[in-house]
Amino acid sequence: MPCLRKELVLSVVQEESQELSVIRLGGSVGIASAAELKKLLLQALGSGKEVRVSLESATDLDVTAVQLLWAAGCEAKRPGARFTFIEAMPEEISIALGDAGFEKVSLSK
Amino acid sequence: MPSNANNIDRFKQSFREEAREILVELESALLELNGNPEDLELVGRVFRSLHTLKGSGAMFGFDELAAFTHHLETAFDEVRNGRLKIDSELVDLTLAALDQIKAMLEEDSGNAAADSGACAEILAKVRQMTGTAESHPAGPVPEQASPADESGATCDWQIRFAPGPELMLKGTDPLLLLRELKQMGDLRIVASMAAVPPLGELEPERCYISWEMVLSTAAGRDAIRDVFIFVEDSCELSIESASSPAPSAAACTPDVTAKALEEQRALSGGRRIYDKPSNASSLRVPAAKLDQFVDLVGELVTVQARLSEIATRRDDLEITEVSEEIERLTSSLRENSMNIRMTPIRATFEKFRRLVHDLARDLDKDVELTIEGADTELDKTVIDRLSDPLMHLIRNSMDHGIEPGDVRAADGKRPTATIRLSARHSGASVLVEVSDDGGGIDVDAVRNRAIEKGLIAADAVLTEAEIFALLFEPGFSTAKQVTDISGRGVGMDVVRQSVESLRGTIDVASKRGQGTSVTLRLPLTLAIIDGLLVKIGNANFVMPLANTLECIELTREDVAKANGRHVAEVRGEILPYIRLREYFNIHSERPEIEQIMVVETEEGRYGFVVDQVLGDHQTVIKNLGRFYRHVKFVSGATILGNGTVALILDPHRLVKDALHANTRGARGHSVAVTGSRRPKGD
Repeated sequence: MPCLRKELVLSVVQEESQELSVIRLGGSVGIASAAELKKLLLQALGSGKEVRVSLESATDLDVTAVQLLWAAGCEAKRPGARFTFIEAMPEEISIALGDAGFEKVSLSK
Repeated sequence: MPSNANNIDRFKQSFREEAREILVELESALLELNGNPEDLELVGRVFRSLHTLKGSGAMFGFDELAAFTHHLETAFDEVRNGRLKIDSELVDLTLAALDQIKAMLEEDSGNAAADSGACAEILAKVRQMTGTAESHPAGPVPEQASPADESGATCDWQIRFAPGPELMLKGTDPLLLLRELKQMGDLRIVASMAAVPPLGELEPERCYISWEMVLSTAAGRDAIRDVFIFVEDSCELSIESASSPAPSAAACTPDVTAKALEEQRALSGGRRIYDKPSNASSLRVPAAKLDQFVDLVGELVTVQARLSEIATRRDDLEITEVSEEIERLTSSLRENSMNIRMTPIRATFEKFRRLVHDLARDLDKDVELTIEGADTELDKTVIDRLSDPLMHLIRNSMDHGIEPGDVRAADGKRPTATIRLSARHSGASVLVEVSDDGGGIDVDAVRNRAIEKGLIAADAVLTEAEIFALLFEPGFSTAKQVTDISGRGVGMDVVRQSVESLRGTIDVASKRGQGTSVTLRLPLTLAIIDGLLVKIGNANFVMPLANTLECIELTREDVAKANGRHVAEVRGEILPYIRLREYFNIHSERPEIEQIMVVETEEGRYGFVVDQVLGDHQTVIKNLGRFYRHVKFVSGATILGNGTVALILDPHRLVKDALHANTRGARGHSVAVTGSRRPKGD
């Protein structure tokens, strides 16, 4: 049978302070919200603030989300930009990423 | 639940339709392969088609079909990997297998089942060729976890999977595929992020990641490939048996993989290559729905004509504006609906490769089929009804037209005979031609046979074309022997009936010793055409616009200048014309100035004289019914806005009839009207 994607629903909580932008991603982070997530990450990284992402409430991460977070991590290599993950990733997501060969791929550079 | 059962039936039907198309493609590729056994692209085409047939078949519950196809797929995988050579035996075997697959497809719909004996025989031969042991003779497709390796030993497979960019958009999650793969054995996997662009340039819904894997499993290559069955056409996938012992997890580090990937990218110029999926998306719609749609458009066109009539009569500016707007929209709608029905003739033509191949073998003749103009489009209804007449023409040509090899050699001809199938547009018609370079028609033999059968009198004077036309009389055959292929004189009659039911015509040309060509002139569509509405007395007629070049005036002086001959001078050139008033025996006062419609016909330019040209008309074609089927020069009727009926003229037949009358000297001028010719609607 074809491997059809699950329906993806993203919830985002953004906490802003003068020097910090915290993005808390919850639910399924996937293709349905990929465009929104890209915009969010670009805005946060463009603000010059330190960007922190939490996946603690995330239930699922698909390839598009992994790509975006990885690219955001690469972006943060520029001078002055900071991008980190905070709090622990849920275990099932961590296992799923490991199973898909992302074990050695560090999302935060 | 009934709705579920309905859904399953619908899916099965949808698979059947798709499978039939795949089988046509398969047959065509196989026959091409027969002539080019080294063509790896063709091998790939055959393999992919079998692969899709198997995968989709299993999914829709056609287990027997899937299991049977699996063995053929294995054989072509062996060909792909250079372990098996293409020869005529494999091609014939696969063609025979396709016949069984066709039967399996139709089994569910209550038709004849596949021949289990023949299937077993085919499978035994395939296994012998591929060197595989007998397994799952009629059972379902081997499960993915079942060992393909007969020893059951675990093997290491190096797998590279780079999804196509559109994979996620098509609803497939590669992570689920990887999870499925993981269930097959020990999977060591590394994702490569090397192709992911900077965040700003990244298209969020596109897939940039690829994977390098080593899978230790008892399952075979086919079982692994089955995991990717629905994405294989739009991804890069390689599954290679690791000849050396399986690398340790440490050996398969991201660094090593990244380096390997970098090397690969450098080799391919930094670009990932995908099997290009077709950009054109399409929708499968039942033909009946389309017919209904076109019928409704036809009704709309008729109602619109009525509205135009009312608007003209009332002389109301507002109604006229609305009417003109509706006319424009209806015209666009009509054109679009007609275009939807237009289908290339390719699939119909390609089907005959198999027929020619099989007949050539049965008749022990060396024959090649060449196809030209396969992209020519025709109305679906016309195409659907064209298969039978073409089949009869080809069979006839193969059996009677093409000479045996020794005769060809004695005549100094090429040993390989050619049958040519071609299609091309000609005005509002399509010309479909079946020609051969065989012995040609023996005119005397046809004539003598016709006299024997009492079709013509012994002293009848007939032109060559008239003699050829006798070939299409019921039961007519000059064959000395009735064979399985032809000779009973049934086929050509069927050809005539089929073509005439499509309002087409048949022309035969033949030269003794050089070959025969049969040309079918078929209307582009049987539904709605652009026409030119004309009037003679109180009767209205429609001339197809596609054939009409111009309209010019014909004064009484012009008629007098021609001294009673039916010719007019148009810009220094002589134009013969047919006076439709005389042709249809219409008795009414002739206007001072008549109109000549200049029309392009098969016989050249001809004029048709009418009283008045009323203007262009979207013509919904209605059949005249069985009662009028012998009225040859009228191709149908249409209903006008005021509710009256106008006959649609067939200019080609009108001219032919006129020329025929001239040749036979039936009348002093080019037209003759007899009681049987006069249409009743007049």
